[in-house]
Amino acid sequence: MQPWHRRLFFLRSIGGVSLACAVALAGGCGSGVAEGPGRPTLPGPKTFHHSFEQAPASLDPVQATNIYANHVVVNAYDTLFAYKYLARPYQLKPNLAEDWPEISPDLLTYRIRLKRGVRFQDDPCFPGGRGRELVAEDFVYSLKRQFDPQNRPQGGWFWQGRIVGIDAWKSAGSDYAQDIPGLRALDSHTLEIRLTRPYPQLLDTFAQGYSAVVPHEAVACYGRELGTHPVGSGPFKVVAYDTARVVFERHPGYRQEPVDLAAEGYDPVKQRYTGVERIAGRSPPFVDRLIIDFANDDASRWNSFTKGDEVQLSALPPERAEAVLASLNPVRLQPEYAEKYQAYSGPEAGFVFEVFNFDFPDFGYHPDPARERRNKALRCAIIKAFDWEARNASWYFGLATVFPGVIVPVVPEFDPALSRASVTRDVDGARRLLRDNGWTAANLPVLVYGQSAGVKQRMFYEQFRAELKQIGWPPEKVVLKQFATFGDLSRAWKESRLPIVAKGWGLDYPDAENTLQLFYGPNGSPGSNDANWHNVEFDRLYEQAAVMLPSPERTALYRRMNQLVIDDCVGMTGLARNRIYLWHRNVVAMPDREIVGGFWLKYVDVLPPGQSARPEGLGATG
Amino acid sequence: MDVLQFALRKLLAGVPLLVGVTLLSFTLMVYFGPDKTYELLGKNSTAAQIAEVRHELGYDRPFFVRYAEYLRELATLDFGHSDSTGAKVSTLLARSIPVSLALELPGFVLGNLLGLALALTAAFHRGRWPDKLIMGVAVVGMSVSFLIVIFAFQIWFCTSHGLNWFPVRGWSAAGPLDYLAHIAVPTLATVFVALGYNTRFYRAVIVEEMGRDHVRTARAFGTPPLRLLWRNILKNCAIPIVTRVMFTIPSIVIGGALLIETAFGIPGVGRVTYEAIISGDQPVLKAVVGLTASLFVLTLLVTDILYRAVDPRVSLQ
Amino acid sequence: MTAGMARNGDGVAVPATRRTSLWQTALAKFARDRAGLVGLTVVALYLLVAIGVWFGWWATEWADITGAKWAPVSAQHWFGTNIIGQDIFQRGLYSTATAFEVGLVVAVLVVVLGGLLGATSGFLAGSWVDEIVLWTMGVVDAVPFYLMVAAIAFALADYPYAMHVAMISTFWTTTGRFVRGEVIKLRGLEFVEAARALGVGQAAIVLRHVLPNTLHILLVQMTLCFVDAIKAEVVLSFLGLGVKDGMSWGLMISESTLEFLAGHFNNLVAASLLMFGLVYAFNMFADALQDALDPKRVA
Repeated sequence: MQPWHRRLFFLRSIGGVSLACAVALAGGCGSGVAEGPGRPTLPGPKTFHHSFEQAPASLDPVQATNIYANHVVVNAYDTLFAYKYLARPYQLKPNLAEDWPEISPDLLTYRIRLKRGVRFQDDPCFPGGRGRELVAEDFVYSLKRQFDPQNRPQGGWFWQGRIVGIDAWKSAGSDYAQDIPGLRALDSHTLEIRLTRPYPQLLDTFAQGYSAVVPHEAVACYGRELGTHPVGSGPFKVVAYDTARVVFERHPGYRQEPVDLAAEGYDPVKQRYTGVERIAGRSPPFVDRLIIDFANDDASRWNSFTKGDEVQLSALPPERAEAVLASLNPVRLQPEYAEKYQAYSGPEAGFVFEVFNFDFPDFGYHPDPARERRNKALRCAIIKAFDWEARNASWYFGLATVFPGVIVPVVPEFDPALSRASVTRDVDGARRLLRDNGWTAANLPVLVYGQSAGVKQRMFYEQFRAELKQIGWPPEKVVLKQFATFGDLSRAWKESRLPIVAKGWGLDYPDAENTLQLFYGPNGSPGSNDANWHNVEFDRLYEQAAVMLPSPERTALYRRMNQLVIDDCVGMTGLARNRIYLWHRNVVAMPDREIVGGFWLKYVDVLPPGQSARPEGLGATG
Repeated sequence: MDVLQFALRKLLAGVPLLVGVTLLSFTLMVYFGPDKTYELLGKNSTAAQIAEVRHELGYDRPFFVRYAEYLRELATLDFGHSDSTGAKVSTLLARSIPVSLALELPGFVLGNLLGLALALTAAFHRGRWPDKLIMGVAVVGMSVSFLIVIFAFQIWFCTSHGLNWFPVRGWSAAGPLDYLAHIAVPTLATVFVALGYNTRFYRAVIVEEMGRDHVRTARAFGTPPLRLLWRNILKNCAIPIVTRVMFTIPSIVIGGALLIETAFGIPGVGRVTYEAIISGDQPVLKAVVGLTASLFVLTLLVTDILYRAVDPRVSLQ
Repeated sequence: MTAGMARNGDGVAVPATRRTSLWQTALAKFARDRAGLVGLTVVALYLLVAIGVWFGWWATEWADITGAKWAPVSAQHWFGTNIIGQDIFQRGLYSTATAFEVGLVVAVLVVVLGGLLGATSGFLAGSWVDEIVLWTMGVVDAVPFYLMVAAIAFALADYPYAMHVAMISTFWTTTGRFVRGEVIKLRGLEFVEAARALGVGQAAIVLRHVLPNTLHILLVQMTLCFVDAIKAEVVLSFLGLGVKDGMSWGLMISESTLEFLAGHFNNLVAASLLMFGLVYAFNMFADALQDALDPKRVA
């Protein structure tokens, strides 16, 4: 970070030389990390200064529950698989694994070979302070940690009931000396995993921070403090971490793997503007120091980004969209921003949605079938009253995608042709529905709208209340209940205490199964089916699809399930936010924070200030 | 009367207070406080997992066992590890308390010195226009919400809507200029808000002192103003002033400046505490509350001793 | 006031002359204080606005979406609209009622609680009751204000008056200490001694003879508390610990943080101005009141 006073001085001093610089650059480009002539480069390590809107709570892989934690964890640690840097839609690739696994014909046994010579980062926890080689036993140990309650693990649900013997191991007291039949190291570099039933998403789970490989020496040495002191084999080593920022340094012993752009899914048409061709054939990581600022305040993050010498990459706060963007679709920058920055826009891997809780007889299931029919009319009317476009305009500046159902736009199973009736506002229709089913201002039930504390959440409620008023719902019958902490709100969900659950869901892997499971009956509270919706047909289809490999047949099943959710008026769904990133022109990057998590950070390169990663003649968004 | 004996007796008298504060804060913040369980659960959790996490956090133990544990932690100053990051609470505090101190001390000192200077000016021109002007402005300062001052100053000094002179957030004390740049706006805001209150308080104290016979006599005898100020006024005002200053200390050291730190993204102890509240990080909360209370009791003691130092008439009884 | 005192039937010599002169001088003094009168007038205007809100005369559409997002200032929307198209002026007016509600509830209850406990402890100074009250005050004062308030707000979960409870339970100690000091002074005075000699019960003495003589302190404390409560509400609502139902200046200010980046400051300006007006006027009024009621106070 450069202080303001030095910056002022600096700006004045470079004014005179920038012309010379530009001339020199026009002569010979593409020389990689060539230094700008005519001006001394900044001393010190090559640094990439990134920013994020939230700090991870813990850096322990067993608690890598969100993208914030994953961004840090997958850079400090290694995972067996990873997502390709540039391929969209997302594709897996072997990472620590030497190659794709050998899978038995019944899809129940996986044999995975690990790369040789992978070393953990040097750390005092190892004998002599020198990181040792990573072996298959380390992976077995790391996955066991997810089943040891002492670690307060959060990712066990990926594998519980699926890997043979893993639940028994836990109920026997999580003794690391005991073996798990379905999770074994055959030799120092071969793993064997046996499943109770086919699990098509298994390899995706091995690309998550949850399954990152931790050396037992570090756990023995740091104990609970492993959460602030990661020791992994990843491309970067954490040297400082608090809730304001994390600082990494390059892991000098990181394995040499020259970048093969084609294998990473490079799209020369769409991605050439990023300048990623410069990294072809070179081994990451390319920067000596990686800093991630956690700034949950959009304004200050954006100010830091536009100052020029602080944060180099930031998500565009929606509030700035009007000033920064020349067009929304396709996303294009205003000329003065295109001059200085590169940009990328893509849908989030996830969505926000609001569902009714069917445990509440006022809206959901009711012993009296006639009332249950009226309840459905009630739900459908509320859905018609809900104004997704207003939500989009107010809070996402029109940058989000409103879509029907629960299959999100980012997954391959998304159906763009689906009817948009369930996300289109229809005040008259809603009023008619209420009237025809005998609902009046007097007999409408009280709606409790639960949210976490926060002014935005409060405004969501006010918007909702005003919209319901327009279909004749008395405002005093729409009540806000705010929870001081997210934990308290989450508790209310899991204890099925809220009639309406409004939440966002981030995909764990690019497969519609990950959002459809939110409506699977057996996942009811305290599971993730907050709607406590139990539909026999849906559950049957879900169980059928869950063991299928990707195929058109499976997609057809997914879409039928999606329609069932829409038809029963389970909730208002949904909206996927579009992320727009801007970064300084001297940064060579294709940012992404969705499924890929933090895997892209090791591919980031930084040119000296004033240089541009963008090839001549291209725009800021390609 | 032996000062040490006096101090010991005062310390002993502080014990019930300490017990009260710890009990109150424990009951409110820990026992009824935010529940961390549901933040530590995975996405698809079962009832058994919920019980596991609660057990790990120690929520399933009886009230008094947990309270006793708290007292033990306070006595040994070992608060264990944060429930969120797993970092040692002592490390967390050792990192954030100096930041808060460095952030707040300049504003605190400036606010008091300026307040005293303005109060003296006003008091010496009592009833005339400088007095009226200063006191009028003081009421304005008292009437503006701290929150508004922070936002207004931030927008004005730190963003492109205004002067854009200073960093809008973050913390760095790498060099003196760096440090000044980061504390400039927070200090301005603190001083702006504190000044009104301080000026009024000091003026009232000084005016009262100036009305006393011995000051009037000294004045009548033509004692030079500076000497009058030092010998007859400030010295006698010392008790209320020291009290005011002393009792602000515990909240500065431990409490931090929650609003300032939040608005400027400064990793001080105020923010650490607030995040602990929001996320239900009980080990951190316990440490902050316990330490503040202990410091408060200690302040009471030190103030009593100071009273004697500045004014021998105060008996140690 | 005097009439009320004369009617009490214990036959105890009420120091009517002292009382009369205090209140009469105070009134006369206040009537000469121009700043105080202006303050009072402005406060009365705000109160009128609040009453109008309570009776539904105006600001009835504060929760409705009546315009476009961030509509500019116009004849229809005097302060423009907010991010979801609600009228900022109406929300500001509505918040005036909230401010009075918070200020009055807190101020009255603080004075009642602080007055009762302070008087009791002062009257029984040196006894165990006094010790307990003093101890309680010490405990409450030792916990930093925002921590305490946050803790109470949490402990009471979504109870709509959590914020009020929190403020009352922290604010009362100041009043308590003042009243305690005054009562210690009073209880040595003749008329109390006389009541005691006549066998009047302790509670009766406190309620009928001692407390009424601390009224001037209570009145001043009430005005100070009112201002403190309004200012604290803003901060607490910003932190998400404040007003649960309805609308307040604090909520408007926290709402405005969503708009800074886009360069819209209407919410901030509206709430700040309205709040500043009331607090400033109230401060002037409180000042004048203090001057009038406290003969020793140096103005």
